[in-house]
Amino acid sequence: MAARVTVVGSYPKPPHEGEEFTLRRTLHALDRGDASVVDVRAAQDDLVREVIEEQARAGIELVTDGQVRWDDAQTRFAEGLEGFGTTGLLRYFDTNTYFRQPVVKAEVARRGRIVLDEFLFARDHSPVPVKQALIGPYTLAALSVDEHYGHLRRLVEDLAAALNEEARELAEAGCEVIAFDEPALARIPGSRPGDLAVLGDVADRLTAGVGATTVLQTFFGDVAEHGPAFFDLPFDAFGLDLVAGPGNLEAVHEFPADRILQAGIVDSRNTRLEDPDDLARRIEGLAATVDPERLWLSPSAGLEYLPREAAQRKCALLAEAARRFRGDR
Amino acid sequence: MSDVLLTTQVGSLPKPDYLLRARSAFARGEISREELRDLERRATREWVEFQNEIGIDVVVDGEQYRGDMVAFFAEELEGFSRGGLVRSYGNRYYRKPIITGPIRRTHPITVEWWSYASSLTDRPVKGMLTGPYTIRDWSFDEHYDTRRDAVLALAEAIRDEAVALQEAGAEYIQIDEPAVSTRMDELDLAIEALGVVTEPLSVHTITHICYGDFHNAYPRMLDLPVDQIDLELTNSDFDLLDRFAEHPFTKSIGLGVVDVHSHRIETVDEVVKGIERTLEVIPPGRVYVDPDCGLKTRTVEEAKDKLRVVVEGARRVRSRLGIDP
Repeated sequence: MAARVTVVGSYPKPPHEGEEFTLRRTLHALDRGDASVVDVRAAQDDLVREVIEEQARAGIELVTDGQVRWDDAQTRFAEGLEGFGTTGLLRYFDTNTYFRQPVVKAEVARRGRIVLDEFLFARDHSPVPVKQALIGPYTLAALSVDEHYGHLRRLVEDLAAALNEEARELAEAGCEVIAFDEPALARIPGSRPGDLAVLGDVADRLTAGVGATTVLQTFFGDVAEHGPAFFDLPFDAFGLDLVAGPGNLEAVHEFPADRILQAGIVDSRNTRLEDPDDLARRIEGLAATVDPERLWLSPSAGLEYLPREAAQRKCALLAEAARRFRGDR
Repeated sequence: MSDVLLTTQVGSLPKPDYLLRARSAFARGEISREELRDLERRATREWVEFQNEIGIDVVVDGEQYRGDMVAFFAEELEGFSRGGLVRSYGNRYYRKPIITGPIRRTHPITVEWWSYASSLTDRPVKGMLTGPYTIRDWSFDEHYDTRRDAVLALAEAIRDEAVALQEAGAEYIQIDEPAVSTRMDELDLAIEALGVVTEPLSVHTITHICYGDFHNAYPRMLDLPVDQIDLELTNSDFDLLDRFAEHPFTKSIGLGVVDVHSHRIETVDEVVKGIERTLEVIPPGRVYVDPDCGLKTRTVEEAKDKLRVVVEGARRVRSRLGIDP
């Protein structure tokens, strides 16, 4: 399909204006001892169904469950893996969103399925294919305090092995697209880009035997300074933020013919709505260097940085731009 | 009072339980704005009286009437709309303001609260403003073409408020820029905008920036056009002092000597040690002693205990230096 429309991962948890925020209320009740984990699970299930339906209705052709069961990716995977604890709040890159920083206290390993059940639930409740996002091993290592390994590469290696197990099981269960989120590789305003060689060393280990389309997903910044070597990594698809990373547009000129480009062209950090004709023209521009069959479209990053209404509108806008592009061809 | 090692604080103080309850009740429409306002005044009075009692030299109003430091100004300025909920962390959410039109200051925002606090003390009360860079960075923008355009428009609005505080008699005006440390690559823009705010001011100006990549930003940070930079020194175990030894810190410093993120109350000895280490690289006339950041996330009792330790530590160092008690 030309210009397939997808999302990056997260979706806002708050309801539409004026509606009841059941998940938040249930989590507060859990803290007070007035609700059980079963109640929380039910609220999460309802919200997953709701955000999947909302994305699909807006025209997203490859959805996620919105990661609405998670606080954030770091916390979710630190809790899901062996060897982690957590410490104080840390700002998530250049956003005004915070997360509890994971601490590596012992050897990292996968003790069992992490998000597989969440994927199965989403798949069973979606009218369109569901993508599953996993945190990338480099980013999880970069955002954690390491009290055990004392050596970034060894930590990233063990994380890659653990995440590979999860990815293989997801693929066996029928997950067709698995994204590894690696924002730490990008040059994000206020920080330096990540060390590509560290991910490069473990990338084969990370994707080996995964019978699905694998995506290396970056956002919030540029990957241009890694040069063409970035696209040599063994992933089937590369997700780039073309809003916060203007240099990524240059990098795309060298995009390899045998991979998929997921172009983040709608701003997921600002409520201002793009003009669909401008977007369609941008898609035309990308299609000049990338085969449209290998071009996917998405917001620039996860949508949870926007209020719910804005996220929904951005999805519809993206789908509308793709329709205009397809119609124009 | 000798103007050496003056004690102060960064700005916010915790809201007492009765005020938290009243804010919830107001949000549910159960009490009127006037009823809420009365309780905000009561909490402000109690905090100013506490500062009088323990002998803080430069007083703050404690921001009992503010929810979020950005949303408060966004609600008072023309050009902003109320945004929807976005997540802050965990299960916590806030309404992120949206710039939807040209930003204008149509009325004084903080002057009345400053005047009220001043009427309750003989000591100077700091005027407390959120800086233009931070207001833009923590809002959506649907109106301006560039970040710079929005930041500079906000700078003019905040400047007018600062001038109004100066005219009302404020001797100290602080313009908080915690977002600057997120994106040190935009430090030049933050410097330019702060320059717009402080240009017409003749009073003592301060900016507070939270911990960030200061090692790379120093000494460029000294170009921030204010008299005093307030820094979280405790949170980073005073490691910036080594940089100050290499390249002198040429401004006054707001010296954070207690951690605002921990429940533990520091000892007076710890505070004394922090001040004395600083005095090796910055003379006492340019050192203001305070907590690392606003204390609003602590309990009322923790905040009071931490402030007592700050005051006692500064007093002990003054006395060792042979300056008045």
